[in-house]
Amino acid sequence: MEFDKKSLLKLGKLARISISDDKLNNLSKDLNSILEFVDQLKEIKTDQVDPTSNSLYQKLEVRDDKVDTKNSAEDILENAPEKEMDFFVVPKVIE
Amino acid sequence: MVAQMIEDWNLVIGIEIHAQVNSKSKLFSSSPTDFGSKPNSQVSLIDAAMPGMLPVINKFCIEQAVKSGIGLNAKINKKSIFDRKNYFYQDLPQGYQISQYKDPIVGEGFVEIETENGQKKIGVERLHLEQDAGKSLHDQDPNFTFVDLNRSGIALMEIVSKPDMSSPEEAVEYVRKVRSILRYLGTCDGNMEQGSLRADVNVSVNKPGNELGTRCEIKNLNSFKFIHAAIVYEAKRQIKLIEQGESVNQETRLFNTQSGETRSMRSKEDAHDYRYFPDPDLLPLTLDDDWIKGLQETIPELPDQIKERFINEYSLSSYDANIIVSDKATSKYFEDVVKNRNPKLVTTWVTGELFSILNKKNLIIEDSPITSKQLGELVDNIENGKISNRQAKEVLEEMCESGKGALEIIDEKGLSQISDENEIESLVDNVLNSNPENVKKYKNGKDKLFGFFVGEAMKLSKGKANPKIVNDLIKKKLSQ
Amino acid sequence: MKDSYTLKSLAVLLENNKISSKELTSEYLKNIENGKDLNCYNTISQEKALIDAEKSDERRKSQNLRSKYDGIPIGIKDLFCTKGVATTASSKILSNFVPNYESTVTQNCDDAGLISLGKLNCDEFAMGSTNKTSFFGSVKNPWKSVNSDNELVPGGSSGGSAAAVSGDLCVASLGTDTGGSIRQPASFTGTVGLKPSYGRVSRWGIVAFASSLDQAGPITKTVEDAAILLDIISGHDEKDSTSSVNPKENYYENLNSDIKGMKIGIPKEFRSDKLPASTQKSWDECANLLKTNGAEIVDISLPHTMSALPAYYIIAPAEASSNLARYDGVRYGLRVKGNDLIDMYEKTRSEGFGDEVKRRILIGTYVLSSGYYDAYYIKAQKIRSLIKSDYVEAFKKVDAILTPSTPSTAFEIANEPSDPVQNYLNDIFTVPVNLAGLPGISIPYANDENNLPIGLQLITNSFEEQKLLNVAKNIEETINYSETPEKWWLK
Ligand SMILES: [Mg+2]
Ligand SMILES: [Zn+2]
Repeated sequence: MEFDKKSLLKLGKLARISISDDKLNNLSKDLNSILEFVDQLKEIKTDQVDPTSNSLYQKLEVRDDKVDTKNSAEDILENAPEKEMDFFVVPKVIE
Repeated sequence: MVAQMIEDWNLVIGIEIHAQVNSKSKLFSSSPTDFGSKPNSQVSLIDAAMPGMLPVINKFCIEQAVKSGIGLNAKINKKSIFDRKNYFYQDLPQGYQISQYKDPIVGEGFVEIETENGQKKIGVERLHLEQDAGKSLHDQDPNFTFVDLNRSGIALMEIVSKPDMSSPEEAVEYVRKVRSILRYLGTCDGNMEQGSLRADVNVSVNKPGNELGTRCEIKNLNSFKFIHAAIVYEAKRQIKLIEQGESVNQETRLFNTQSGETRSMRSKEDAHDYRYFPDPDLLPLTLDDDWIKGLQETIPELPDQIKERFINEYSLSSYDANIIVSDKATSKYFEDVVKNRNPKLVTTWVTGELFSILNKKNLIIEDSPITSKQLGELVDNIENGKISNRQAKEVLEEMCESGKGALEIIDEKGLSQISDENEIESLVDNVLNSNPENVKKYKNGKDKLFGFFVGEAMKLSKGKANPKIVNDLIKKKLSQ
Repeated sequence: MKDSYTLKSLAVLLENNKISSKELTSEYLKNIENGKDLNCYNTISQEKALIDAEKSDERRKSQNLRSKYDGIPIGIKDLFCTKGVATTASSKILSNFVPNYESTVTQNCDDAGLISLGKLNCDEFAMGSTNKTSFFGSVKNPWKSVNSDNELVPGGSSGGSAAAVSGDLCVASLGTDTGGSIRQPASFTGTVGLKPSYGRVSRWGIVAFASSLDQAGPITKTVEDAAILLDIISGHDEKDSTSSVNPKENYYENLNSDIKGMKIGIPKEFRSDKLPASTQKSWDECANLLKTNGAEIVDISLPHTMSALPAYYIIAPAEASSNLARYDGVRYGLRVKGNDLIDMYEKTRSEGFGDEVKRRILIGTYVLSSGYYDAYYIKAQKIRSLIKSDYVEAFKKVDAILTPSTPSTAFEIANEPSDPVQNYLNDIFTVPVNLAGLPGISIPYANDENNLPIGLQLITNSFEEQKLLNVAKNIEETINYSETPEKWWLK
């Protein structure tokens, strides 16, 4: 079992998803099942293979350094759950 | 001074400089990068990480990174990868920063700095492009933090040094030098007050012969003074800990500019796992040789080269040359003035009088009230003997206040020096004839009276007589 | 009459003034209303669609049409951002999100005069193959087994898009396909589903699931309609760095069903004892049919086929875990209050995401985390290289590859397996195509013994959409599949 209670909670922290106690068992069962499934790749030899992170083979397209100020602060804040004086507002952060 | 406080200890310092690319728009979006705009007024859908938004890279930023790499004598990587650095923070809208991890655009290089013990090479590990984060305001409200994304997505060049510095002075010199190179290249404006250039400083201490100590990173230092102070404080703190038998924790710390102390950052307490991986929204960045060559040809003369040229061409001392080339605008100013003039005189007037005026007025040379042409005119009038050095200082001050040219002021004030030998001879005759007693005493061996005659002659000329001619004539007359 | 509606036929009806856009739009809105039980639409744009239809009718009057298809209403998967219209990705976390921008693909549709009827239900963030992961509930397949009255899954993630076309709640729709999300539901609903080559269609403004795999495409009644809609939505987009600079073609105009001399590959690794006999039979029959029509059938091998699904379930979750980090309750979407910032993040994301999305985020976070990155993420990307080169080799020998679209036909909603991996197997035939960035199409071939549609998949080399559509057209013309579901929801 790769995912026990402790490692699952740690993973949840990293992903910023809280996991309630009643979900822990099922979740660890599911994740272990997925992990077991993907672990079959370990059988395949890939020492001489380069990884591909995108199948599209072309040069990275670039854009010119031009300014385009289409969006106002109101546009950007339109969907914000909490805002004030053109700022996004979050619970107090102590650095 | 510091060396004494931390005697018996080695300091090991490495620095990460974040230099904002001098671009009009952001690294992956077309939002403007102006400083001091209204909150969230320079934020595109991309910068705010709205669903479905995609990054498109700014060509200019790639060019500036490569130019900077060339300026840092570094290897330009023909293939580089943009990665995502994943972490959650209120000022990081995407939940990841697009940065470069394993394959940066620029590899190893070096810069040379001037130290007490002469030149020293500081290794550069790499330079990579990445996005800046937004800005959080914690003091607007007791219960909330306010977030402004104007900075979010601005292009930064992160320049990582090797841990090659061993004193706060070297660290400051290194940052100064990198800043100077970037400013010469025009890739970063180097404005530290506005945050265009910040330094993260890694400090550790160890006893000579022992293995390296645990390092702490002090984040976001935006002045040379703070860099120095933070390193001194941090070194002393670590030494004290070790001497008390405690150990140094590897951590990120903040420098308090008020108290001059560093403290652990609370929000960074939990260990990070950034889960870097290649950004699937961006393909690998490839540069071809011809393109790099083309950029190479646009690289201007850089401080080290200019310094060498100044020493050869104008016989400047290494010290003076260093001062002049440390800033692009200064060396340009100097070159403008020195053309067809006496380099020594020009050096004195630039690094002496002009600098002290600028200092007093708290001005940078770009905003100098005296243009290079004006200073040149002043130097000309010293060189051709029209005014004395002392008079020139007076003229310079007046130039500063009124903005008038040197000649105009000399004429207005009637300052122009008397260099006509006949005129001066009659002055000298007048003095000698009026003081026959003293002339006798002098001839009998009271040498000190020579100065008296000179002073009287100058007084008589209201200070305008060319002191050299006065000297020569008095010597000649008295020896007759 | 209604069943013969296609993009092509509607264009003719509109042109000959046999119907107005407003009448047509009203008719579809009525169908949607009557088909509410299918749960295809998350948002119905009743008012806006009618206004847009009137505008189209005016354009037609003043001979100022945007395209031949101006005035035809379609459905849009609720993953495309649409200005002023809620875009939820079928997730609670975006349930209140109304973008003030328009995705490139839907803008292209608008530029052609197409009208949006509304936003189609899908699996949450396109993660699923049954549509059961939607926050707004399962979509129901218009098809039912002859032996049972139980409701069937439409497939997923573009389940709403496929079911709506199948049930005449729109004539054509837009879906997205990350591992089979267009082709698998098309197969389950007897519709045509096309996943274009990676880079052929802009991803700008589409809620991202796995950026290196996502691709938008059409779900339609016919191959011709797929070509028409692909013409409208495809092309280079400067706003998407992974958009191909290859010029797009006139797929519809250049459709040519002549396949004489073409070589069609049958990959042995897709054969399986577990494949239903009726599916195997359709596959064999189709190969024979292509042979009869002048193609050569070639046995080929794609040796790494069985590694595709596990590799996909590393890569897609890895990218998703990062792509979905932006849903944090700060700038838009759901926010659940917390004691501090971290608490707010954790509560918002825990309540805002459904179970499958959370599973994938957690797996994705795990495979990228330090100590596991090489063993999982890099390993999977290497496997991807192997799969890609399998296809490169294969396309040196053949023009197109023929496989089943799915390992089964539609199954009962109540019978969804509880083990996530069992669900993942639905995409076993479609996933390799995404990993290799190739175009693939699922077309209905026949119905099985339960009268449920069987889909077959064609695959061609990158950017050979034209060839793909041509072969598909050949099959379509030959078999003339014309089954339609009985409209049980009208009773
Ligand atoms: Mg750093
Ligand atoms: Zn950085």
